[in-house]
Amino acid sequence: MLKKLLKYDLKSIFKVLVVFYILSALFAILTRLFFNIENSFIMDIVAKVCSGITIAMIINILINNILRLWIRFKNNFYGDESYLTHTLPVSKDTLYLSKFITSIITLLVSFIVIGISLFIAYYSKENIEFIKSILLPIADTYGSTVIKVLLAFFFIFFLQFSNTLQAGYTGIILGHRKNNIKVVYSVIIGFATYIGTQVLAIIMLFIAGLFNKNIMNLFFTNEIVNVETVKTIIIVAIIIYGVILVLEYFINLKLFKKDVNVD
Amino acid sequence: MELLECVNVNKSFGNKEILKNVNLTIPRGKIIGLLGKNGMGKTTLIKLINDLLTPTSGEVLVNGKKVGIESKKIISYLPERTYLDKSMSVDQVIEFFTEFYDNFDAEKARKLLKDLDLDTSLKLSKMSKGMQEKVQLVLVMSRKSDLYILDEPLGGVDPATRDYILDTILTNFNEGSSVIISTHLISDIERILDEVIFIDKGEIALQSDCDELRSKDGSSIDEIFRRMFKC
Repeated sequence: MLKKLLKYDLKSIFKVLVVFYILSALFAILTRLFFNIENSFIMDIVAKVCSGITIAMIINILINNILRLWIRFKNNFYGDESYLTHTLPVSKDTLYLSKFITSIITLLVSFIVIGISLFIAYYSKENIEFIKSILLPIADTYGSTVIKVLLAFFFIFFLQFSNTLQAGYTGIILGHRKNNIKVVYSVIIGFATYIGTQVLAIIMLFIAGLFNKNIMNLFFTNEIVNVETVKTIIIVAIIIYGVILVLEYFINLKLFKKDVNVD
Repeated sequence: MELLECVNVNKSFGNKEILKNVNLTIPRGKIIGLLGKNGMGKTTLIKLINDLLTPTSGEVLVNGKKVGIESKKIISYLPERTYLDKSMSVDQVIEFFTEFYDNFDAEKARKLLKDLDLDTSLKLSKMSKGMQEKVQLVLVMSRKSDLYILDEPLGGVDPATRDYILDTILTNFNEGSSVIISTHLISDIERILDEVIFIDKGEIALQSDCDELRSKDGSSIDEIFRRMFKC
């Protein structure tokens, strides 16, 4: 049943996102083409316009992705469509798992498309050298490459966005337990949950600081963070956001399963 | 074992008690009218049976088991609102039902939809609300279920459509199964009912065989209802 649910969930989200994926890639290509035409004032303006549209499309992908997931979650579980969703012969665990996996997959694909669009639009020797100059010291302390460091940052952002999504789900679940102004409650609780997870992340970082002097220095000094500390923070941040994501999943699932009350 | 049993079921929203100590059993092979004025708890009771609400106390049993995946396999439910994804076409909805319900008869659904002269490639969002409701009814009645629960299937429709709906119900429900029809339009459905349940202010006021009730009282169910629930 999970496969069947996933098919419909993914289809519903991707059918709109794919339009933005195409537009983002298209304008990225145009940006690259127009920037390659030298000695033309007009072409330079056109390239800059295309560049702006590419960035707008990238932002659109992220916002659209998250909003669509929240809206589908709300409609499927608490709107008119919930009358169908909750009467399907499927366990509540499977229903929620499908939404969770859909969030992960769609967000991952969006991040990849954004990465590809940025690469198409802005890849150049100078830009790569610039990124390298920033990331190489970190990569060196890892005994790693710039690409791997970039992937680590990519992973942190991805986990951070996934946490934001889950906080929204918590808001929707708890907001719809109220008898009135459910949407308002959903937004307030979702926001409070997001702030809560960020506070939790800081507390976990502080706990990690008890075992690592460099991390603790972040809390009690104004010193510029050294490369060694950045390396540690990247690893700790991935672990912290990973743990929070898993915690949110299980808490949301428990809340979702308890006392379903559809309007 | 009874098909459906409600044991001491209570449901409250905040301080407001919607259902109070509801006890009832639904036997197999009967068409039962769940009758009551608006806002008396009919829909709440139906939602509890369909796992759309959780009872405050008491339990709802289907084939002796608490409501859950197994009960959803054998209950075909028509809610009072349009509940399908309107971005889907009728063909896609048929595919959806085929995938999720083992007892869904796609051929039967297509035949019934053909009788309605309906283009199944049409999206639900392009249809009138009345047509969407007919599609839902066809889908619900195309399942070979043990229990059909129809919440206000006649609400807000013209007399000709009421006849179509009642005919569709009568000619399509699975033999040996039961049908619960919730409505306040009693005169329209009286002729097809075997049993009635009167619900008033969240309590079961009466559950009886229709023929027995009529002969005992010497009047129609509609008249009995009007007398009982006179404002």
